[in-house]
Amino acid sequence: MASKTLRPKGRVIAAYLAPGLLIYCFIVIIPLIISLIYSFYNYSGGASMKFIGLKNYQYLIKDMDFWNSFKNNLVIILLSMVGQVGIALVITALMISKLLKFKAIHRNIIFLPVVVSAIVVGFLWTIMYNKDYGLLNFVLKSVGLGSLIRPWLDNPKYVMFSVSMPIIWQYIGFYLVIFLSAVQGISPDIYESADLDGAVGIKRSVYITIPLLKDTLKVAVMLCIAGNMKIFDHIYVMTGGGPGTSSMVMAQYAYINSFIMFKLGYGSAISIGILVLSLTLILLSRKLWGGKDNEA
Amino acid sequence: MKHKIITLISQIIANLFMIMFSITCIFPLVWMLYSSMKTQQEFSLDIISLPKVLHFDNFIAAIKVGKMHMFFGNSLFNSVISVILIILIGFIVAYFLSRYNFKLRNAVYVLFLFGMLVPVHSLLIPLFIQFKVLHLLDQRFTLIFPYVAFGLPMAVFLFESFIKSTPVEIEEAAYLDGGSTSTIIFKIVMPVCRPVISTILILSFLNSWNEFPFSLILLRKQSLKTIPIGLSNFNGQYTVNYPQLMAAMVIAVLPVIIIYLLFSKRVIEGMTAGSVKG
Repeated sequence: MASKTLRPKGRVIAAYLAPGLLIYCFIVIIPLIISLIYSFYNYSGGASMKFIGLKNYQYLIKDMDFWNSFKNNLVIILLSMVGQVGIALVITALMISKLLKFKAIHRNIIFLPVVVSAIVVGFLWTIMYNKDYGLLNFVLKSVGLGSLIRPWLDNPKYVMFSVSMPIIWQYIGFYLVIFLSAVQGISPDIYESADLDGAVGIKRSVYITIPLLKDTLKVAVMLCIAGNMKIFDHIYVMTGGGPGTSSMVMAQYAYINSFIMFKLGYGSAISIGILVLSLTLILLSRKLWGGKDNEA
Repeated sequence: MKHKIITLISQIIANLFMIMFSITCIFPLVWMLYSSMKTQQEFSLDIISLPKVLHFDNFIAAIKVGKMHMFFGNSLFNSVISVILIILIGFIVAYFLSRYNFKLRNAVYVLFLFGMLVPVHSLLIPLFIQFKVLHLLDQRFTLIFPYVAFGLPMAVFLFESFIKSTPVEIEEAAYLDGGSTSTIIFKIVMPVCRPVISTILILSFLNSWNEFPFSLILLRKQSLKTIPIGLSNFNGQYTVNYPQLMAAMVIAVLPVIIIYLLFSKRVIEGMTAGSVKG
């Protein structure tokens, strides 16, 4: 807690805080302001810069490609909500049901993909999806489901599903450990009395643990939204947004506009759009969840 | 009796399910590891079989042709410098935030909190423009700036909550004995923070090592690029040779896997603390 005895001068405090604040403002705060300014200009990296007011934003609001990529972000969020948070919850329930052996080993294995870089995961799944050399088709064939074999990443109809799979696969372990650490915080007394009342096995997961995990669940949902709004690396490696624009996400769209087509002004407007949409979605999810009890 | 059988059956089903699940989590990585030691011919004949002889030519090619050692060195340089700076700067900021009620304390606190909400990708374009104007693109230390700045909020909050939970009396005694502010900070408080330091060290190393978009945008010079970029170039040149690509991927993930195998408990703890606190 704040001490009364130790009292260095304000100047000393400022000197100590300066390096951190400077580098932080230089990288996070100033660029935000620049982004806001450039979004009112027509700028493609050269010397000419033309002020065009709100034109970039007017264009952005009508830009179907942008909204399509926003929709794709939402699709990934929904699939991840079911896939990551849902599966992690099921496994958490199994982990605390006393049925399982080698729990720590399972947990460590399931968490492993989380630390691997998204680029490697993207490449790995591109190879796994490959028509001739892919693991996926090999497995399908060997269990007699050869008819399901598809050009996984080349068909606009299910490419969103295909690019979401690696993302889900990679991060289940992340949500699992969040849930497990929350479960450890639940008092054993509750379980003891539950045992006396005959709530055992899966039953006690469903009726006791999961309701007590509500707050953690909120955090997990928010992390899921925030994480998938900024999804980029996987998509960049696997499809680059294609075929066409069918797997385009917002970050990829901003990247293409700014660094492939060099529309830096419009790219800045997209950046601000991403920021606004992300913050809105996060705050909205907070509101929806926090409505019942006045916390979080 | 009947109850016991039901328990046994559900035990078997639950365990089988979990074993299957764990295999799907780890097998793709194991597959990548052993396939990287097969020749291309071996791989195209049978994608699933183990290599007959361990064959390291793919790794040699990944280094000679793909220059993976260079990218590896660059990533290592960036990560190590960033981690040191994140810990040092984050610690100092957090110390003052947790111990003193100075004028702008809350403003500084909110500023760093805000950083955890800003999506990185909304800063890529302005940062590129800014770095271009200031001639900071394509320098040896270019990536250190964003890595440190984006590592700071997490470090500040982990340090802050830890320092708050430690007693202030020792520092006060040291102060009354005439210890300077810097002595107190570095000789007394910092050693106490060792557990948090190791958590932040691991987390910021993983983040810097795996970072992609900043190095994609801020670096053009081949000789400065980091491992994720090197990997994406490598793929462009040799799309067909999968075992070779997998060898390069193994090189890219080796450090993080080793860290994870050695410190899995700390990594897991750190990840949960770092994200839930944020």
